Amino acid sequence: MGWIPDEGKGLPPPGVVNRNSFWLGGMGWCAAIMNGNVLSGVHRQVLLTTIGWFLGYHLTKYENYVHAKLDREMNEYMKLHPDDFAPKEKKTFAEIVEPFIPVR
Amino acid sequence: MSVTGLLARSFFVHRVGSRSVFTSSKRDTNSPNWLRVGLAFGSSVFLWSLLFKQHSDDVLEYKLRNNIN
Repeated sequence: MGWIPDEGKGLPPPGVVNRNSFWLGGMGWCAAIMNGNVLSGVHRQVLLTTIGWFLGYHLTKYENYVHAKLDREMNEYMKLHPDDFAPKEKKTFAEIVEPFIPVR
Repeated sequence: MSVTGLLARSFFVHRVGSRSVFTSSKRDTNSPNWLRVGLAFGSSVFLWSLLFKQHSDDVLEYKLRNNIN
């Protein structure tokens, strides 16, 4: 892995079937179809779909790492500033709603 | 400004005849280029095997680092 540092390797890896792979593989397949025919260019379709799927897997891995890093930084900030994140008192609806006086 | 009008004018500008060496033909789907087909399928197989290997390596690394099983 070139762009994910060592700490990112402790994250759960994405499955082989994932959203980015599916999308980029589909894009590769559509590109292959639009470049030629549906039936006569199967090798091109397979190759471009594979390339898209491969890139999608690594993109998902990078995306997971970036999101995990942001979540960790956010949680650390929340721990350092607990006053800003005190839970609000919850009022039931009965306390808020005013008595109903129909006006005719 | 039709295309033929523009081409007619270019006839007067480019007096020196110049010919392009590029040719183009429609793709022949009845006689496939087997080398290219083989390379495409071969590299697809290679990429898929690389992907599965990478995935199993990642799963192993994850389990080692978090001391699962």
